[in-house]
This record gives sequence, C-alpha cells and structure tokens, in this order.
Amino acid sequence: MRKIAMAVVAGAILSGSLSSAQTATAAQVTHDANVTVYPQAPRPTVQGLDCAGGTGNMGCGPGWFWRDGWRGFACYPC
Amino acid sequence: MNRPLIAIGGVTAAALLATGTTIGGFSTAAAQPGDYSTIPVSPNVITDSAAYTAAAPVLDPNGQPGVTTVYTHRDNTRQITNTILVLPDPQAATAALSQIQSGLGNQVANGKTQPAAVGTGGTVVTGLSPDGTKSVSVLLFTEGNAAGSIEFEGPKNDSVPLDMVVDYGQKQDTAIKDSLTS
Repeated sequence: MRKIAMAVVAGAILSGSLSSAQTATAAQVTHDANVTVYPQAPRPTVQGLDCAGGTGNMGCGPGWFWRDGWRGFACYPC
Repeated sequence: MNRPLIAIGGVTAAALLATGTTIGGFSTAAAQPGDYSTIPVSPNVITDSAAYTAAAPVLDPNGQPGVTTVYTHRDNTRQITNTILVLPDPQAATAALSQIQSGLGNQVANGKTQPAAVGTGGTVVTGLSPDGTKSVSVLLFTEGNAAGSIEFEGPKNDSVPLDMVVDYGQKQDTAIKDSLTS
C-alpha cells in the first residue's frame, strides 16, 4: 500500500513539471519582439567607365578607348 | 590594363621579310650603292601592320644624298615623312642635323624641344603647324654618318605619342646601322 502511494505521488510530480514547461518556440517569439532588425544596405558597386561612357571595348578597360589612331587600331588613353 | 596594343604587326612583318615580299613599305631588296630606298622603316612595323601606305621613295631629296619616304595613314589625317641623309662622315651628319633643326621654325610653331633616346643627339620638337591646324612633331637624330629627320603630322588635338616617336625612331636607327655597316 505504501509503495502504491509513493508511485502515485511520483507520477503526480512528474506530470506536473512536464505540463508547466514552456515551449522553446514561445520563448523565442517573446525575445525576438525586442530586437530591432535593420534592412541590409545594398553593397556599393564600383565599375570603371571608358571615355565613351561604356565599360571598355575590345578589352581596353577603363581609361582607354579603342580607335584607329597613330598606331592603327589599338587602345588609346582617353 | 596598361596600354594594351595589338602586336600582330611584328609577326606579319617578320613573315613578309622572311619571304622577301614587299607590301606597304616593307622592303627587303639589297640596296645598290647610292640607292638608299630600302633604309626607311615602315611605321607599320609598330602598328596594326596595315595603318600606313608608303609613297614611292624620293632619292636624294633637295639634292642631298639620301632618301625621303612619306607614309600616309589610312584615315588620311596622319602622315609620317621619313628622311635619311647619308653624308660623308659623322661631323657632316651632325652639321646637316643642326641645319635642319634651325629651319624647324618654318614647320613647327611654338615648338617644345625634348630629348629622345634615339641614335646620337636624339631630339623631338613638338608643336603645331604654322597655320595652327595640325599637330607636328619632328624627331631628329644622327647615326654614324647618317642624319635622320622624321616628321609626324596629324590632327591638331591628337599629336603623335612620344613613346611611338621613340619606338619608331629606334627601329629606324637600327635599320640605318644595319644598312650602312653591311
């Protein structure tokens, strides 16, 4: 009889602790509500332009321009 | 990228030289005594290999022993006049060069003079044509008993780059050495 009573008490304690436990999700929702999230600023992109306003023809690259000049067709500085 | 220039001209020139062909100023014929027509170097060796067309060489320009060849750019806005005088000795070559330089005032207005690493006494005078409508640069140098005068005439706002003047002048200097010592 005594063993049965002890088992009932232990079961009651155990079920009580489980039923009162908070779920992890609920706890996180409460925390996130206090965090200010800023939108990520777009990364600045740097693109060199040739003297025609493009990105360089014939692989000349920024600061150079493809034309027919003193050395014939070649890249020349702007 | 630093000055990426197309370098197919040299290969083409080498191929033509190897086959003994003459196109646009590339000439491989052996010079006869007093015939200096093969000394001038085509500027196509330092360009895209087709930019300039050579006129027929003029032998003994102004009654002086030597040769003048005029190279015209295909856009007809640029011209290179290459004159090589072959004189009896280096002193005469230097004297001829001084005479040419003293007369440059008639060809180059407001000319700025700067040294150039070409031959002996290499000098470049850069300015405008007397009427102010064109850019003019003149390279002067001597090589042994030869005096070289190379004039670059082009658009007013597009004078010939100094590095091209030196590059071309050095090739011409080498050709003079090879021609006059062989």
